[in-house]
Amino acid sequence: MMLLYKAWLESRTRFLLGLVALSGLSAVFVLFNHDVRAVVTDQNISYGEYIWRGIFKGQLRDIFVILTLLLGLGGLDRERSYGTAGHTLALPVSRWRLIAARALTGIIETALLAILPATLVPALSPFIHESYPWRLAFQFGALWTVGGILIFAIGFLSSVLFAGEYSAAVAAIVLLFGYSIATDLPGVEHYLVDIHDVMNGSGPHDVTTLAAISIAAAATIWLAGYITSRKDY
Amino acid sequence: MMDYVIETHDLSKQFGTVHAVSGLNLRVARNQVTGFLGRNGAGKSTTIKMLLGMTHPTSGSGLLLGHSFTDPKQDLEARRKVAYCGEDKQLYAYMTVKQLIHFTASFYPDWRSEVAASLLHQFQLPPDRKVKALSKGMRTKLALLLALARRPALLILDEPTEGLDPVSIEELLQTLSGLPADGTTVFFSSHQISEVERIADRVCIIDRGRLAVDLSLDEIRQDHRRITLSFTHQPPEHLFDMPEVRSIETNGRQMIVVSSHGSDAVVERAKTADAVVVDVAPINLRELFLGTVQDHQ
Repeated sequence: MMLLYKAWLESRTRFLLGLVALSGLSAVFVLFNHDVRAVVTDQNISYGEYIWRGIFKGQLRDIFVILTLLLGLGGLDRERSYGTAGHTLALPVSRWRLIAARALTGIIETALLAILPATLVPALSPFIHESYPWRLAFQFGALWTVGGILIFAIGFLSSVLFAGEYSAAVAAIVLLFGYSIATDLPGVEHYLVDIHDVMNGSGPHDVTTLAAISIAAAATIWLAGYITSRKDY
Repeated sequence: MMDYVIETHDLSKQFGTVHAVSGLNLRVARNQVTGFLGRNGAGKSTTIKMLLGMTHPTSGSGLLLGHSFTDPKQDLEARRKVAYCGEDKQLYAYMTVKQLIHFTASFYPDWRSEVAASLLHQFQLPPDRKVKALSKGMRTKLALLLALARRPALLILDEPTEGLDPVSIEELLQTLSGLPADGTTVFFSSHQISEVERIADRVCIIDRGRLAVDLSLDEIRQDHRRITLSFTHQPPEHLFDMPEVRSIETNGRQMIVVSSHGSDAVVERAKTADAVVVDVAPINLRELFLGTVQDHQ
């Protein structure tokens, strides 16, 4: 339990900043939709499509991707650069437990961030005399959660592979967007699933695909744990 | 039969082409203060990290409080009884003193809250202050509090006095020297010879990853001698290639021999070589250390 507490204390600034950013922007997108429409989408589209283009497929989704990637960073390699790895590793807990606590905390935080816009959009829409189906919003929330966990896992693995605070972040971003570009290449597009398309519902999002993404995320976190368990600190 | 809290057998660690520790056979006796001396880069920190499972040995094995530290499960068991204060003296900057004590206490069922409270008062640590706002000396005291409140069987410290002011060093050394009486063995690395000489019962000197000296300070005082010889010709160093000779230093026609078993055998040999014995004197730890690490260069 105290390892979860430690993981929370280490990630809470990033998480709370994400919480403020996503909730604030969600509110702006909904409450000031007429002003925002003119800037980021098109005036001649329905409210539902505006929300999809602006939030679940648009700028907010990209912000969410960056935030979850940042949530994945940290861990023992970062602690080593701060000089606290010795204290952590001398505790009578296995490295796998340290990894599990950090991963669990990050997954919960990712899910909360994913569900936030899905909750705020239908809740705030009546204030501007619009409505947005709760069911549809939570479907996007679920897709963001699954996709977000994979992105979190990529950041998590990157922070194990690259010790530097910035190099891990840059490597994770390059990997993620490199993969995204690769999925659009002719001949490759049929074999790779673009995680961004899955999250906005325009890509495959059946149970099998979501299960495969979840397994990929679990495998990525396991790989990070395996590398950590064998590493010298 | 001597009871050892640390035993290593041919312990080695290689980083690429660098041999940080080479075939180290170290034994640390229970209920003593043992100083672990060596130059920078001699392998002290790497040895300690291997003992605590932070770094994996390239080869060799060892026991920490009877548990194999190369076995992850046994190493975990050993860490329940071992406390460690690292060289960096960094603790979680984002926690307050109180939070860190609460956090650490949760991992040790035999945590003694009354000892923690007493040390908190004794060390004058502010409970609500963030760790990042503490001085290095205060952080060291906090690390010591976290270590001592669970009455560890073994306390391992890596360069504990590094970066501390003289008053903090004094307080730390006094605390450490009293621990064996409470059942805590102290094993600390340092390159501050005077500190080791002051509080250690025994000293291990590591040089280029190998154990060069393992002696009690009493043995050093009683048995080791510095014999200064003067020759009328070039000193014949080869004549003093004897088991008890630890080091030889030649300066012109004068030769200084450090013997580990008194002076008689060396003096006898000197007489056969027509040497004049100028001086026979006991040596201190500094001379032994310098003689050891310079001799191995």
